[in-house]
Amino acid sequence: MWVTLMLHVVGILIFTRGFLLTRTELPNYSLCSDISQSFCLSPETTPRFYSSDDFDRTTNSSDASCWTKPAINRLVIIVLDALRFDFVAPSTFFKESKPWMDRFQILKEVASRHGSSARIFKAIADPPTTSLQRLKGLTTGGLPTFVDVGNSFGAPAIVEDNLINQLVQNGKKVVMMGDDTWTQLFPDHFERSYPFPSFNVKDLDTVDNGCVDHLFPSLYEEDWDVLISHFLGVDHAGHIFGVDSTPMIEKLEQYNNILKRVIEVLESQSGPGGVHENTLLVVMGDHGQTLNGDHGGGSAEEVETAIFAMSFKEPPSSIPSEFDTSSCQVDLDGKKVCTSSMQQLDFAVTMSALLGYFGLRTMELVFCKYIRIGRINPELYAVGAGGWNLEGSQKLSQSDIWMQNYANALCINSWQVKRYIDVYSATSAVGFSHDDLSQIESIYAEAEKNWLHSTKKFLLDGNNGSDTVVFELKKQIDAYFNFLASVAEHARFKWTEFDLNMMGIGIGIMIVSLIFQVHAIIRANKQLGVSILSGVSGMFSVSSFAFFLLALRAFSFLSNSYILEEGKVANFLLATSGIVTLRYSVMKKKLIIESVGFLLLSTFCRFAIEIGLSKQAATSAFMKEYTSWILNISSGFPVWEYVAEVVPMLVLILLAFWLCKVTSGTSFKWSWKCVILGTILSYMLIIVHWVADNDKFGAVLVPESIGRNYIPRIIYAIALGQLSVVSFGQLYNDNCLNDKKTLLIKTMTNISAWSSTIILLSGKQGPMIAFAAIIGGYCIMRLDNIEGGTKDGPGGSLIVGPFPVVQWSLFAVCLFFCSGHWCAFDGLRYGAAFIGFEEFVLFRQAILLAIDTFGFSIILPVLGLPFLVANKYQANHGKHFLFLQLSRVYIMYGFMTAITLTFTILCVTIQRRHLMVWGLFAPKFVFDVAALILSDLLSLSFLGPPFDSLRQNGIGVPIGWAMSLDAPMACSSSREITYADYYVCNPLTKVGFQLPVCQTMFCGSIYVDLLVGFVCEPHYHVDAEAENVSLNGLLS
Amino acid sequence: MDRRRSREKTAKASPTEPSSQISASGACIIQLLCGLGLAAAFFLSENVYSVDLVTDPSHTLFLIWITELPILILLYSHYRQNREQCTYLRAVGRGLLAMPVGALVSYLGAVALGAPVTIQYLKKNIHWSFMMSLFTTVPASCVFGSSFADWRRIFVHTKPNGTLDYLICLPAHGAIIGAWFGAWPMPLDWERPWQEWPICVSYGAITGYLVAVVASCGVAIAHRSKHVKGE
Repeated sequence: MWVTLMLHVVGILIFTRGFLLTRTELPNYSLCSDISQSFCLSPETTPRFYSSDDFDRTTNSSDASCWTKPAINRLVIIVLDALRFDFVAPSTFFKESKPWMDRFQILKEVASRHGSSARIFKAIADPPTTSLQRLKGLTTGGLPTFVDVGNSFGAPAIVEDNLINQLVQNGKKVVMMGDDTWTQLFPDHFERSYPFPSFNVKDLDTVDNGCVDHLFPSLYEEDWDVLISHFLGVDHAGHIFGVDSTPMIEKLEQYNNILKRVIEVLESQSGPGGVHENTLLVVMGDHGQTLNGDHGGGSAEEVETAIFAMSFKEPPSSIPSEFDTSSCQVDLDGKKVCTSSMQQLDFAVTMSALLGYFGLRTMELVFCKYIRIGRINPELYAVGAGGWNLEGSQKLSQSDIWMQNYANALCINSWQVKRYIDVYSATSAVGFSHDDLSQIESIYAEAEKNWLHSTKKFLLDGNNGSDTVVFELKKQIDAYFNFLASVAEHARFKWTEFDLNMMGIGIGIMIVSLIFQVHAIIRANKQLGVSILSGVSGMFSVSSFAFFLLALRAFSFLSNSYILEEGKVANFLLATSGIVTLRYSVMKKKLIIESVGFLLLSTFCRFAIEIGLSKQAATSAFMKEYTSWILNISSGFPVWEYVAEVVPMLVLILLAFWLCKVTSGTSFKWSWKCVILGTILSYMLIIVHWVADNDKFGAVLVPESIGRNYIPRIIYAIALGQLSVVSFGQLYNDNCLNDKKTLLIKTMTNISAWSSTIILLSGKQGPMIAFAAIIGGYCIMRLDNIEGGTKDGPGGSLIVGPFPVVQWSLFAVCLFFCSGHWCAFDGLRYGAAFIGFEEFVLFRQAILLAIDTFGFSIILPVLGLPFLVANKYQANHGKHFLFLQLSRVYIMYGFMTAITLTFTILCVTIQRRHLMVWGLFAPKFVFDVAALILSDLLSLSFLGPPFDSLRQNGIGVPIGWAMSLDAPMACSSSREITYADYYVCNPLTKVGFQLPVCQTMFCGSIYVDLLVGFVCEPHYHVDAEAENVSLNGLLS
Repeated sequence: MDRRRSREKTAKASPTEPSSQISASGACIIQLLCGLGLAAAFFLSENVYSVDLVTDPSHTLFLIWITELPILILLYSHYRQNREQCTYLRAVGRGLLAMPVGALVSYLGAVALGAPVTIQYLKKNIHWSFMMSLFTTVPASCVFGSSFADWRRIFVHTKPNGTLDYLICLPAHGAIIGAWFGAWPMPLDWERPWQEWPICVSYGAITGYLVAVVASCGVAIAHRSKHVKGE
């Protein structure tokens, strides 16, 4: 067991190191003086286009000779978290108008009024679409590593070169207000900051109100250059209420008013000499959201967000048509609104170009691991370009000037790319191949030559006609585009540093662990005296069918579609297995009710899964039909609301009652009883909590604060107490784990200790799913007995076959999807982490989230596995047998989890260049890894210590011998006499047969005298019914 | 789609008699007619109504079962058991009665395995389950009536003995297994129209049925040659 766990951990670690991309980070930061090494125009060499006396340099005094000329002086960035593109764009862009569209009237109005000086962009973000990752992307222009998502809870500071850092280094002052993620990313970059906690999703207004309070006073002040204001309300409203809801509409209207005021303030001061003469306003989303308010994945709804940019100067003119990719539509008011599309990553580069800092290692930032070329977006550049004072150049039209600047910016951009690639290839082990390098070199040299020999000359001379210059410029821009595109193309294949060796080793280790597990199963089978194939023929076919199902499930992971529909596929297989058992039970003419029940249960699971999946793909047809149907019902009759409130509570009471009844019948130690009683108490507390949470009748009964926070905490405390009791019990009472009853009780207490927390975290659906789980478990357990009952060969009937275990694991997978989860980061129910706690503590919330996510799918099924064994166990088979059975079942279960992980890994390896690798395969990989490690750990916790002693026992040393009728009896033990197992050996075949273990050998601290010898059958009798062994008619 | 077992619980165990025998040529003719019926249904839908499974599944499925129904019932009723007690008309009636019962069972099985149940699918679902019922339960009910022992022998133990049993057992299993495999391409993202429920499942069922029909003919011929040798 330990070995398996170790193998798994090592294999996964190695694979992860190879798979999650690593990039050699270059330590060098760009310096202002670097630019002189390039051939591009610098301010001194082109005085005629940059008549600097017109330029306001008060804030930028240090670098008159540095970088390019700033186009804008001040920048106001308003980030609206989770801003969908269709919030901003006119509804005429979309097929049908929805209630949440057309709420940002002011942006549309400005965009249509100002012509090209204000513009709406559709920004395509890169998954993972979580706020932290997007902010990193926005400021560094790079793609985040995949593991960063895990850090979304606790954001580490950005150490790489980035936009904010460059601003600060160049003496600009940055003011921030809103989401405190910014201050975590940039702990000491801000001149002033007003952070507000961002993780309490239930709170729609605190962050926004704080932003508003500080935003407007700041707009009148002059002590900043860049102002960042991050509003969170839309994100939170989406998480809690969904997009199509009244709070969301209210939020959008509120934002519209805020933006209206902001634009008014800025406009009023944008006259010559005003504070905002050269200010660019950017309103942007960091990512989109689905209709349910989820985000994190790579679906179109999540990655499409909006950027609105507006400068308060008249733009020079429209940009040349070949760079204009906008599409225009007439909005509802009859005005023409144009939108364009851009990559969100280009934002950092373009902003830095506009602010005049090519000090950003543009390319390295833009380029990071899995490559998208970051080029300066022509249109966004054009919006800000109004800042250049263009008096100096009478000869050329304004658009030509713009083009010159653009060409120069591209020149610097390309030069930096080239330099970055050179440096990278020199320092990194896995760089570009020689051929690629020389090819890139030649393209760059061509563009360079062109620049040096023709364009620059044209520009410097300035005597040529405008047409030639424009022609040359266009050619030049094309050349640079060509260069950047070719670099991107090469890089896309070369840069993604999947370490195939590491991945291969990881896969190899996983396969070794699989082989090891198979070996362990076979060994356990041998010790139990059966082999899989030697069973009765019916059992053989059923177990081979189990392997068939397992193989189908494993192979289904090789396709992204099956991963997407994993819940349905698992349920399909579960229902198939249910039908097969139904057939079997009809064949044996018994347990028909159970098998029909199991089939009905899988049908129920199927509907629950579809409702869960509909949350994932909100646009699916099912969602439209069903939710509207359900909503109609619930909105039509208020009765339904009460039913929805009351039914979970009733089910919970039923569960408590059932637990009560089960335990009251049997007599066992007080500690176990305490645990069960604690669970029942917790259930009651959960009901009180729900009642208190309800607006209608909760407030009357319990003060809100107590209900909301203290009750869940009490439940957690009870659960912790129960767990410690259970584990203490396990530590000190191991030796007693030798009959069916103790095993059952132990499993029961274990499960009940966990269940209250899991039910609380899963919310209202919790009791229903718990109920379904109990029914399902019971059915599988009962149906397992079908084969055995009629035949009384001890081998066939007493071994838990692979079929129920496969069913068990399939059922667990179905429960995962039933409880509304799916394998993606937007499938995590973040709300669950805040039950009982308002504030955010990484460790605590992560644990709660993990319990919620894996509660029904890993924790309960793994802890419940002994039920399968206990069901099969009969008294005359001793402790050794029980342990072997238990460990065998656990190994089988672990084997199934490991197989799914191995296939996921294989699939990830094969599909590593797939479009969906970060959106679909990688999250699946992470979820599977978590599931495997968790189930390994749980199995260890359940049978760790006894299993160890057992394993040594199995191969223990013989410590005593006796002979009768030439048959030697061996006593083997590795530790103490009380653990001894006795065997009768056949000296010819050298095969030993284990004798039944005496029940009362050693229990607690009572010693029982033990006499060992041979007694033959008439004197020695095992009574299976009464679980007694009698010797000469006397009970021993 | 599913491996549902049709059961009629009200059944009284009928005295087991040797099932009415059928010659190999007769078996081949029956199966040939069944196959021809299917072909005729497809021909009819293609040329007369100009629909096929992809464009209008419910209509096509309806055509399939409505042409196949009389063929199957009339043919199999000839080979009914207990000829003394059971008239030809009664066997036909049994077949007609088994049709909706089998359809209900297939419908439930399909829903358990994940078939959509919304209103817009209702028509397709009904026609599909009628077709499945026709392939699986109707021949058996014509021949065995309500003899539970025979049903169990065919569908649960899968131990057909005699040519007639093979004629019933193999196509039924073929249709079910074929439909089950037919469901596999459904989740794939190929965006083909035939990936819709119940088109590919119907294709799977029909393919499985036809393969099994051919196989049962083969078994019948093999049986006869063995028989002849034995004599």
